[in-house]
Amino acid sequence: MSVSLRHWRWAVALALAFTGPSAGAQGPPLELAVKAAYVAKFAPFVIWPPASFAAPTAPLVLCVQGDDPFDGILDRLTAGETVGAHPVIVRRLQRLDADSGCEIAYLAGSPVQSPDAALKAVEGLPVLTVTDADSGGGRGIVHLLLIGGRVRFTIDVAKAAQSHLGVSSKLLALAIKVKR
Amino acid sequence: MSQRDPARRRIAILWIGTVVLVLASVGLAFREEALHQAAALQQAEAQTDVLAGSVGAALSFNDSSAMRQYLGALMRNPQVAAAGIYGENGQQLALLARPGADAPATLTGEKTLHAGGRVVVARPVIEQGQTLGYVYIETTPEGASAFVARHTGLVILTLLALLLLSFVTGSAARLTVANARLSEEIGARAAAEEALRQSQKLEALGQLTGGIAHDFNTLLQAIHGAFELILGRSADEKTVRRWARNGLEAAERGASLTRQLLAFSRQQKLEMKPLLVGETIEGMQDLLTRTLGPRVELILDLDNQPRVPVMSDVTQLELALMNLAVNARDAMPEGGRLTVRTRRVELSGDAVLQAGRYLQLQVIDTGEGMPLHVARRAFDPFFTTKAVGKGTGLGLAQVYGVARQAGGDARIASTPHGGTTVTMLFRAAETAAPDAEHETRASLETPGARSACVLLVDDDEAVRQVVRGGLEMRGFRVLEAGSGEAALALAAEHPEIAVIDYAMPGMDGAQTAEQLKRLLPQLPIILASGHSDTASIERALGGQATVLRKPFDIAKLSEIMTRMLRSGA
Repeated sequence: MSVSLRHWRWAVALALAFTGPSAGAQGPPLELAVKAAYVAKFAPFVIWPPASFAAPTAPLVLCVQGDDPFDGILDRLTAGETVGAHPVIVRRLQRLDADSGCEIAYLAGSPVQSPDAALKAVEGLPVLTVTDADSGGGRGIVHLLLIGGRVRFTIDVAKAAQSHLGVSSKLLALAIKVKR
Repeated sequence: MSQRDPARRRIAILWIGTVVLVLASVGLAFREEALHQAAALQQAEAQTDVLAGSVGAALSFNDSSAMRQYLGALMRNPQVAAAGIYGENGQQLALLARPGADAPATLTGEKTLHAGGRVVVARPVIEQGQTLGYVYIETTPEGASAFVARHTGLVILTLLALLLLSFVTGSAARLTVANARLSEEIGARAAAEEALRQSQKLEALGQLTGGIAHDFNTLLQAIHGAFELILGRSADEKTVRRWARNGLEAAERGASLTRQLLAFSRQQKLEMKPLLVGETIEGMQDLLTRTLGPRVELILDLDNQPRVPVMSDVTQLELALMNLAVNARDAMPEGGRLTVRTRRVELSGDAVLQAGRYLQLQVIDTGEGMPLHVARRAFDPFFTTKAVGKGTGLGLAQVYGVARQAGGDARIASTPHGGTTVTMLFRAAETAAPDAEHETRASLETPGARSACVLLVDDDEAVRQVVRGGLEMRGFRVLEAGSGEAALALAAEHPEIAVIDYAMPGMDGAQTAEQLKRLLPQLPIILASGHSDTASIERALGGQATVLRKPFDIAKLSEIMTRMLRSGA
């Protein structure tokens, strides 16, 4: 993947985010692209316990549970990216459980497993759960929502602590609400 | 002068202090400026680093309101002229800038620069190894007022210190000048006092020696005459001649001594007349060469043009030169060189002498010299370094007397093993010198063939006898008188010439001469006097008598008598 192409991707994503209100008028795909960009960008601001990674260069697994709404955007955004020494890989699965090996899990929900069930499945485990207001159900550690046509998020620090995760204050500073 | 040195040192220290202070002030200012710039830079870097560390998430999530919040917080600092956040590709995402700021439109990379009073810092924003973008901070250029305010304190302190130093230095310099003047005055006064003391001392001693000379002369006359008589009448010619010669030499030494004493005392009648020192020296060349002996080379370095006459007595000048020559010879036992040099000099500001033109006579030897304490006393009468019997200690005192009589001074410069230079200064005379006179000395061997009748008046029988013997030996007929009264009684014998001792009890020589003149107006009279005041005698006699200075030798007396008788006839 060439550098210029990567930059092009980010430029598109950020342009969509920046032009949030107008993007909303153009329909769900643009809003989803912004959400995908967000999901892809949380990792640098989260600290996992060392045991989460088998090796220093073990991949950081970004899971999409249920029906993937991003239509491959996430794959393109994360292709070749690393967080620290960990290459980022995207994995899709219908059912999330304790052995899924995800560091980040976007819970889209599916007939097989609702977002709530998925949350339940990894409760207390070091998995950054990301839920979407559009998907309904309970809230993960990070909860995405639309406010004034822009994508925003809340962070549940208490839940993160239960899951042995550290969340950077920089990220907290951007959250519209931090639950402690 | 040792007193001056500490003051000079103090001034030097003060000046060094001033220079050091100014340099230190400038150094401090530069250092403070550098520190200030470094601090400004450090501050800007720290702010940029904080921004770069905080803005990661906002940049990552392109939260422009959060970015503006961060930048707004920075812009509260009035020293920040512009703050910006740039994306991963360098595109400007957020920028807050004051008027005049020069923030770039795009920015990548890291930089720190300090230019034109501004500090520009750019830093990448990195999270977990990912470069998310860049931040930029530019500070406001510092105003002149801030710069001045920062350095005013130091400038004021430095100026105050300089003012204080200049004040202290100025007063120290004035003190030094005053001290130098005082030292000079003290020195001049000490020199003048020393000169005065020297003159007074020598003059006092001169008075003393004048008295000694008078008594001594009478004695010498007797000795001299007795030996002469023996020489003339002895049967055992060989023995008597030897004794007679010894006696004569002794008598001449004595005569020389009294001459020196009298010249020194300044009361002897000096025949002061304008003379040319150079010619006198040239006339003495043979005598000097003989005195110095074969081992000493004589060099005459005489400045005879133009001729500068001086007022002096030829005999005394010759004696002075002889004294100097003898001293030089004795100082050069292994031989050497004696230079006699004359120069015309103009003096002004001399401690002893008046300003004016002088003739300088220098006698320079290459002898053993003398230490300072000896040189200082060299002109003192009776001071001698020679063994007993070898020197009277009057030689240099006579030199001093001659120079003083000529309105000048004598000085000595000597260092051990460095030779001695005696300098005589003679005040230049107003009148011109006549051509040099060469005094003819009467020889003892010149026989007198006179049969004239001589009236010999002296209260001292011994003197009478020897003079009578000497005159009779030369063919004179002698009438003896032991007093003035006796002499007047003998006037009836019709003496053709009278020789009268001046100092006699009762009627003295002058009175006797006066009385005799009344009786015998044509009688030539010779007054013999060992007394120094010959001028007053001649004055008293109104020029009617010839004064003969004691001691005299008979041959000389005989010659004068012959001349007077001839001219009187």
